[in-house]
Amino acid sequence: MVRLDLLIPGLSAKTDHFLFGICTLVLLRDGRRTILFDAGAYRVRGALIAALNAHGLAPDDIDAVYMSHLHWDHVENVDLFRNADIYVSRSEYDYTAAIAPSDWGTPPFVRDILDDLRLVLLDDREEELFPGMRTISLPGHSIGLQGLVVDTEHGKAVLAADALWSARDVVRGKPDLAFYNVEQGTASLTKLLEAGTIYYPGHDRPFRLEDGRVRYLAQSAYRLRMALQPYAEDLTCAFSTETGAALTGGLLPADRA
Amino acid sequence: MACEITLLFTGCPASADGFWVGASTVALCRTDGRLILFDAGPYAYRPLLLGRLKRLGLAPADIDTVVLSHLHWDTATNADLFSNADVVVHARELAYAEKPAAHDWATPPYMARALKKLRLKPVSEECDIAAGLRVVELPGHTPGSIGLVAGRELLAGDAVACARDAARGHASEWFSDGAQADASLAKALGCADLIYAGHDRPFRVGPPIAHVGDYALRIRLFVDPVGMDQEICVKSERASSFATWPE
Repeated sequence: MVRLDLLIPGLSAKTDHFLFGICTLVLLRDGRRTILFDAGAYRVRGALIAALNAHGLAPDDIDAVYMSHLHWDHVENVDLFRNADIYVSRSEYDYTAAIAPSDWGTPPFVRDILDDLRLVLLDDREEELFPGMRTISLPGHSIGLQGLVVDTEHGKAVLAADALWSARDVVRGKPDLAFYNVEQGTASLTKLLEAGTIYYPGHDRPFRLEDGRVRYLAQSAYRLRMALQPYAEDLTCAFSTETGAALTGGLLPADRA
Repeated sequence: MACEITLLFTGCPASADGFWVGASTVALCRTDGRLILFDAGPYAYRPLLLGRLKRLGLAPADIDTVVLSHLHWDTATNADLFSNADVVVHARELAYAEKPAAHDWATPPYMARALKKLRLKPVSEECDIAAGLRVVELPGHTPGSIGLVAGRELLAGDAVACARDAARGHASEWFSDGAQADASLAKALGCADLIYAGHDRPFRVGPPIAHVGDYALRIRLFVDPVGMDQEICVKSERASSFATWPE
């Protein structure tokens, strides 16, 4: 049985000023190894280190980083893990030698990031990489995206990365962001849904399907503080996915007690 | 020769819990037939940056010079898009980025390695890079922070992060030398009437310090995968009367 901890839940949001690129980052422990699933965008670098610290870990304690694919928002922090084997699909890695001009998602300098790390290239065959952790090929979003199917105490968890961008892909029956190949992406979506019962999307919170309905298993909340006036206080705006409280009576659950 | 400055990205003085916002200013300068980009933004700008250039009828290959105010993740990351451009950066900044200090979380350790594949033009003193466009040294935020002066306008990078720092006369965030950062802030405020801050709208130095133009940030998200998109919009606009708003 593998212990799975969600370090950062993916965020299914966008702004008109920048992409968030906040993807799901997961910590896996099989009793022997400490494995990180994806490394995240540069902007979560501090949050990732803090999340590891909260589990009593530092970047140097990570034995392996499993890279689902080499898009900017998954790879920018992989250089933090100096002691880790970095698992990358061979087709993803080979592709970075000649990135398609229309592909803005894969940084042309990705090899400069990976350069002096301990790379392990994975062939396109599915295998039990570590006990209770099986690779699963899910191309379509990118050329050689690979997920991981993990045996946990709650069931088989499918770490799908952007083959399942958000829960909306399931509802609509098609991937929202199949940049590389839509047909492959659609087939990968069907395949990953059959591979387990708990789903970790690339940019959304983990969920189960109950009678075809999405039930999220984690919350997310963010606060944005803005110094919009030179001589005044900050303005803070927050959004959160808190589970529904009864608002109509004017009483929050705490007041009712 | 007057230099025309167009904002491609208007910086925003925002911070968040859980991620670094990095909404930095990216500007296009046109002077004497030259197309000069001041800062290149974080990778998270990339498709938007390409789209905004396209809307101006420009391709990345049309940019002849990219000036990088400093080598942080949120200012220098897209420099590689501009294959025909000389990339101007301070020599001290480049040397520093080869081995950033351990406490410096903002300079990616691979930044210098990636930049070295580009057509770098390091500068080590104040100089003109085009007609009416001068590089000024504004160190402190980082060891080799620079700005660009056009007449009485200054593209300041993070030497002037936001109007509030200018109002307080104090650089709130620095990675190299706080006293130097405060001195550079004073220098910046003294050499221009209009400042394009690194993470803010442009503002008039005044006194009083006053923003030029409005600002709006829209965040689109969903909490129900079967439901509708939701949008949050934060705006900062010219003051109006509550007697007449909304119409």
